[in-house]
Amino acid sequence: MTEAPTLLIASQSARFVLRERTVALLAMLFVALVLISAWLGWQATATVNRVYLDAAAFLQKSGQPVPTNPVLDISPLSLMRNMSVYVALIGALSAIVIGNRLVGLDRKAGVLPLIGVRPASPAAYALAKIAALAGLILLLALFSGAIATLTLLMLPGVVPDAAQWAQLAGFIWVSALYMVIFGLAGLGAGAAARSETVGLLVPVTLWLTLTFMLPQLTANLNPTAAINPVSALAPPPDTPFFRIAGQILGPFSLADAYKFASARLLDYLPPGIASPSVIPPVADLTLAALLAAALAWRALTRLPMAQGDYDA
Amino acid sequence: MPDATAAPVRIIAAKDIRDALRDRFILIVAAFLSIAATVALVTGAIALRGDVATYAAAKATLLALGKSADAIKAPEFYPLRLLRGAIEQIEIIGAAIAILIGYRAAANERGRQTLALIFTRPLHRWQFTAGKALAGLGLLAGGLASALGGLTLVLHLMAGIGLTADDLLRIAVVWAVAVAYTACFFLLGFILTLHMKLPGHALLAAFAVWLLLVLIAPQIGDTLDPDNQVAGGVFKQLNIAKPDQIEIMKGFATYETLRDGIEQASVTKHFERFSFAVLGIKATYTGMPLGPVLTEMLGNLVWILLTALGLGAVALALPINPDRLSKA
Repeated sequence: MTEAPTLLIASQSARFVLRERTVALLAMLFVALVLISAWLGWQATATVNRVYLDAAAFLQKSGQPVPTNPVLDISPLSLMRNMSVYVALIGALSAIVIGNRLVGLDRKAGVLPLIGVRPASPAAYALAKIAALAGLILLLALFSGAIATLTLLMLPGVVPDAAQWAQLAGFIWVSALYMVIFGLAGLGAGAAARSETVGLLVPVTLWLTLTFMLPQLTANLNPTAAINPVSALAPPPDTPFFRIAGQILGPFSLADAYKFASARLLDYLPPGIASPSVIPPVADLTLAALLAAALAWRALTRLPMAQGDYDA
Repeated sequence: MPDATAAPVRIIAAKDIRDALRDRFILIVAAFLSIAATVALVTGAIALRGDVATYAAAKATLLALGKSADAIKAPEFYPLRLLRGAIEQIEIIGAAIAILIGYRAAANERGRQTLALIFTRPLHRWQFTAGKALAGLGLLAGGLASALGGLTLVLHLMAGIGLTADDLLRIAVVWAVAVAYTACFFLLGFILTLHMKLPGHALLAAFAVWLLLVLIAPQIGDTLDPDNQVAGGVFKQLNIAKPDQIEIMKGFATYETLRDGIEQASVTKHFERFSFAVLGIKATYTGMPLGPVLTEMLGNLVWILLTALGLGAVALALPINPDRLSKA
């Protein structure tokens, strides 16, 4: 009885959201940045290699010992390291907007009472919205995964092995998981908020706090370092405050969890660096996604179907 | 006959400020920015205290072994340098808040369908825009003053040695430029919300620009920095001293120009360079008198002011359609 309306609402919602120009704009920006990130990784690594060659010649001339080339230790997957930053920035923001629009469009267009009079339970409606969100984000993640795969196949001198391809797939999965958390926050806040602006601002504030404030508390990472994939992995200061903050706030610091998970999967986690959190990164992200899904479910199932638009 | 004086501008500005204060929106966002900036300041201070303790312990060990402590470098303490994280928070969160203030300034009139009503009054269109812009600037100036004022107080109490008049002057200069910097984003949010078909789309479009200018352009420049490619820095790993680094990097002039060009495209980077220099956060400017720093940073200052003035001119020049009654 509930299957048909769920599927219908899910596919209609997804199509409706895709027609939105702002959603399309953000999604296109994300895809373009994934493309750029591949070029950035390749270009930056090639430059370090050239810097090393110049430095080696300089050191040799001045009779100093020449250390090994740091580029030799770099895995081909790490060329895609900027992608983790773009998922954390624009991917998460796109997910918030998709989540917000999925419920916001229904509320604004006044179709809630129309759905409410049909034989579809609130659970079917909630399930449909969550399914539409998951589907759209999975689509975005798969698309970026396809671009990453093509880039790795095309770049000269880059040959990932089978295990590395599996790691890339894992990274795409974790990225989708991270985006889904924010998408669910957008969906839940969009359903629970009385005003459209608040529905968007609450998840954006959450995103700002997770991305720029918590890494400062757990590892003394300034905001610009937090969005550089390499600088973000500097070891935290060795003081009791950061040790305790890392352990206590670690499970809540989802941007940190995503950073460690992607650095491990894309082979750029420096040796000796690990998440200070008591919960391993991927498990932490999974728990956060489940919690966000529960909250979104609660907000969606309590949505007053007799009411149409937002109050303000 | 519309009143061509500044009186209507003042009335609109005062009404907007009252509105923003009444629904506590500005208080909430200013508190959020203050918390983010204070967290950055306090964690920086805790990290520095850790460095000092490590240095003291290492020094004591060396002295106990009868060796000279000259081999280890003492951590430098310049109180204003602790503001680095706070400035970065203003760069990012301050700009986002400015967009929201701009969005509200325009969306409120459209949402409450008062835009057409306002223009039934004897009022020039530019007076409406100027009043809104004045209110936005006032709110930004007040919000940033409270955030930076709070930071200054925390810094003064934490630094132990207190802040000098020169330090306070530098913070005041950064505050003034931060107002101009955030004004750019306020105007962006305001213009888009007032003129785009749907205010909700305008907010998202403004955030897309914010992402590009505030986060992505500086991030691309930062990511392409060869020294940021290896944890701890490539030159540090290769044990190459600063003068030799400069010599080696001379061979990468074109690459560095491109990297710098991407960064230069962003008004955020100009604000960062200006404030980091004035506060002595960037090592080259630490301890340099304010006058020469300002002279050297004039280019960045002009860039920020021209962006704000340019957007202000666009806001004044664009014709307003009073029939924009759509609320979303």
